[in-house]
Amino acid sequence: MRRFLTALSAVLLLAACSGKTTFVEQLPDIYPDYIGVTIPAGIAPMNFNIPQEYDQVFVKVTGSGGGELKARGKWADFPRRKWDALTKRNVGGTLTFTVLGRKGGEWTQWRDFIMYVSDAPLTDYGVTYRKIAPGYTTYSHIGLYQRDLHSFREDPIIESTLTPGQCMNCHTANATDPAQYLFHLRGKNGGTYIQKDGHGEWVNTKTEETIGNIAYSYWHPDGRWLVASINPVRQSFWVSDHQPIEVFDVASDLVVMDLDDHSLVVDPRLTTEDFLESSPSFTPDGKMIYFCKAKAYPVPRQVDSIRYDLMRVPFDASTGLLGEIQTVIPASQEGHSISFPRPSYDGRWLMYNQADFSVFPIDRKEADLWLMDLQTGRTRPIDEVNSPLSESFHNWSSDSRWFLFSSRRDDGWYVQIYFASIDSDGHCTKPFVLPQKNPRKYYHNTIYSFNVPDFTKSKVDFDTRHVYRDVFSGQRVQTSVKP
Amino acid sequence: MDKLFRISVTALFGAAIFAFWMWLYPQALSYHEQYQLFLFTWDYLAQRLSVSGGLADWLSEFLVQFFFLRWSGALVLAIVAICLQLAVWHASRSVRPDGSRFLYALSFVPSLLILIYMGNTEVLVSFPVALTLSVALCPLFARAGWHTLWLIPLAWWLLGPVALVPVLFAVLLGRRPLHWALLIYTSIVVYALYRLFLSQYTPRDVLFGINYGRLREMLPALQVIIPVVTLLCIFACAVPVRLRQMALAEGALLFLLAAGTLLGVKASYDRDTYEMIAYDDLIRHGKYKEVIERAEHYQPHSPISSCSVNFCLFMEGQLSRRLTEFYQCGTGGLVLPSIRDSFSDLTSAEIFFMMGMPNTALQYYFDCMESIQNCRLSGRFLSRMADCNLINGWWGSADKYLDILSKSLFYRKDALRRKKMVGSDQAVSADPVYAYVRAVRFKEDFISSYEALDLMMALLYNQDNNNFMAGEYYSVWQRLKKKEGGAQ
Repeated sequence: MRRFLTALSAVLLLAACSGKTTFVEQLPDIYPDYIGVTIPAGIAPMNFNIPQEYDQVFVKVTGSGGGELKARGKWADFPRRKWDALTKRNVGGTLTFTVLGRKGGEWTQWRDFIMYVSDAPLTDYGVTYRKIAPGYTTYSHIGLYQRDLHSFREDPIIESTLTPGQCMNCHTANATDPAQYLFHLRGKNGGTYIQKDGHGEWVNTKTEETIGNIAYSYWHPDGRWLVASINPVRQSFWVSDHQPIEVFDVASDLVVMDLDDHSLVVDPRLTTEDFLESSPSFTPDGKMIYFCKAKAYPVPRQVDSIRYDLMRVPFDASTGLLGEIQTVIPASQEGHSISFPRPSYDGRWLMYNQADFSVFPIDRKEADLWLMDLQTGRTRPIDEVNSPLSESFHNWSSDSRWFLFSSRRDDGWYVQIYFASIDSDGHCTKPFVLPQKNPRKYYHNTIYSFNVPDFTKSKVDFDTRHVYRDVFSGQRVQTSVKP
Repeated sequence: MDKLFRISVTALFGAAIFAFWMWLYPQALSYHEQYQLFLFTWDYLAQRLSVSGGLADWLSEFLVQFFFLRWSGALVLAIVAICLQLAVWHASRSVRPDGSRFLYALSFVPSLLILIYMGNTEVLVSFPVALTLSVALCPLFARAGWHTLWLIPLAWWLLGPVALVPVLFAVLLGRRPLHWALLIYTSIVVYALYRLFLSQYTPRDVLFGINYGRLREMLPALQVIIPVVTLLCIFACAVPVRLRQMALAEGALLFLLAAGTLLGVKASYDRDTYEMIAYDDLIRHGKYKEVIERAEHYQPHSPISSCSVNFCLFMEGQLSRRLTEFYQCGTGGLVLPSIRDSFSDLTSAEIFFMMGMPNTALQYYFDCMESIQNCRLSGRFLSRMADCNLINGWWGSADKYLDILSKSLFYRKDALRRKKMVGSDQAVSADPVYAYVRAVRFKEDFISSYEALDLMMALLYNQDNNNFMAGEYYSVWQRLKKKEGGAQ
């Protein structure tokens, strides 16, 4: 019976696609560009659209290791379970896509294309990100979300509807583990929410001795320490059609926070007025902090003179003290600026952004992703994933075989999340955008950018029940400066 | 006779409401319309239905899109007012079918209260829509029996907290312990729906309505009073009253209602606020002369008003000559600095656009839209943002905005026209407005600064002497600056 039904459906599909079919040698113009990308087995269906003038698409996917899948409709919409089974059956192999499009009653068949199924599994649950209208000085709806990478399910962690008038940013987990995470609320009742081992607290991280609240944060592997930069951020606006916005820090310092007693380690070498320090991160062994440092110039007048070098400083987790500061890449000397150094969790690579100036690569068209081999110290731009437009915030999966990054490559303005894998030699694969049920409809209609994306090993557990009361009560655990 | 009387009074009432919005406060229509963008898509409907009160909100936005045209907006509000009044009367009939003619006048009270309440510019039409539908449900709830058990969550989800009106109606009409238990049941249902589906909203929103007002923190007393009064009116209308001098009593009651409404409107419709909204409405439609005429009679003393009147003076070629005849508040009243709300900067944004600063106009329009307190899109602002993106050749964003606009009713045609320009510099340059802005805009790139705005205007004028606006604004800026200096 089952065979009969399969045969019948095949006959019906063939009949449906019958009529005049024209074969063309070109690859299909699909959105998003998934041609030749490498995906992990079990990723959500890589649905795609063909040009809108085609009213029907028929797709047959054939696995090199066996298995077949068909989709037909206004766009290629693959059933999730069958897609999941097909990708898992073809780990390390390829999926061949045969695509036909119907226009004016006639079918066109394009050249088949291939998608590679990586042998590196994606073990993480999904990704977290903030959605915000990419813009100027105000925002309306804003929220932190988590998305299951194995399906299209998106859940809010916290949205501005719950905390009216408050901005929120930087959901930061400890090496993708949401057992330890934090995020910041900004505004009148601002604070940092820190959740550790099932216990959450709202903390005021501003002290009399520091210039503001902590912003870009990174967890120490043992969960006791956070390294963070304090960045009073401002924006200015260009007048020509080159790019609209420039974001910069009017000052910035670097501190380490001890979560055991809510105290800040303030090192005078990293809190000077003459220099700006930003975007720190711990190495996976917790013994080193990478960060960026630049000479301060008057802003916004000389914003294009601010160029950050890549620095590092040893860290003693037993005392919280910092060692001798070292320059790793003196990028400013060559007219470049480095931001967001992120060591892979296996300690093999360091990924960072490089632009002409600034520490906010999202607003620099020329910003690219670079990779440093931490064994040899060699660096290179990751040409496999870079585009002519901005590549910015990035993070590693928990096993460091995959990374994600933000990019404006799609329409030049709205930021999307891309994924790529990396092998043991540092070769990266062609990236793919976060899959959506109907990608064109989703990405073309959304008025939000995806900010500060990160992998999350498991689902983030955040109880919204008391948030409103806690936020607006103003009760905060006050941090102090470690003597 | 009785029926004819009722029809006549209702028709008269409808005409009065129509006249109120058509001629007294038409600017309110434009104000509401510009803070939403109704889209004919299933996603849009699904988005609205995903929260409590969503159907009322969706219907309200559907209706408010017709505020784009003054007459259709006034007509819509008149119809809503009549529907509410008739729903109240109809509900009262289900209490006692033989109600007296005298008390028919009381059925107008909720609609009149709504009229007063809408003097608050941030009250959304979804509130009267939800109330009307809730009152219309009263007779159904009264005879629904056990069906009330599923009607309550459904009504509460679709209409929001005013769905309590038919529940209370059923309780008061039934007056049995079982009916009172409905209130406990409703509380449990609301709590369950809140915990299950509305965990990203505050308990306050859930109790008092997510979509009844543009400002979510807002809870004016009238929002609670009006449903209570509506319920009272339903029962009061049903009270059998027989008076000897019926006609006199009717006249007196109607007079009292009219006088009360007049007083309420006077207290609720802030003159300065509505005057500035009127300026914005007229500027939006290019009626600069009318702004000047209004300002000749009365002009609010605020930077927004000054900015709007000055702009209209310029557009009519009178800025330098008549500057001192109108209220001025220094250079800040010529062009406003960036202010984080959805209204103040609208005229300034228009000035920047016309003067050849599309990026600053884009910034102002974007911020205005993002400042809409209930996080809605604005057809008007999105349209201008698309203009700025087309001028800059930022095709991706322009295409996105025009696509969104093309799913609306009143912005569709123009959006489709402009969509043809996406990707074609030639097509953009063939449009006279775009071509002008492209021609007079800055040739060099630098970071803009409000503090140096006069220098930027001078630069624009020196760059292209055809940019008469930059030249005149620069010279007026200097005059006002001198005056400010002199005053100090």
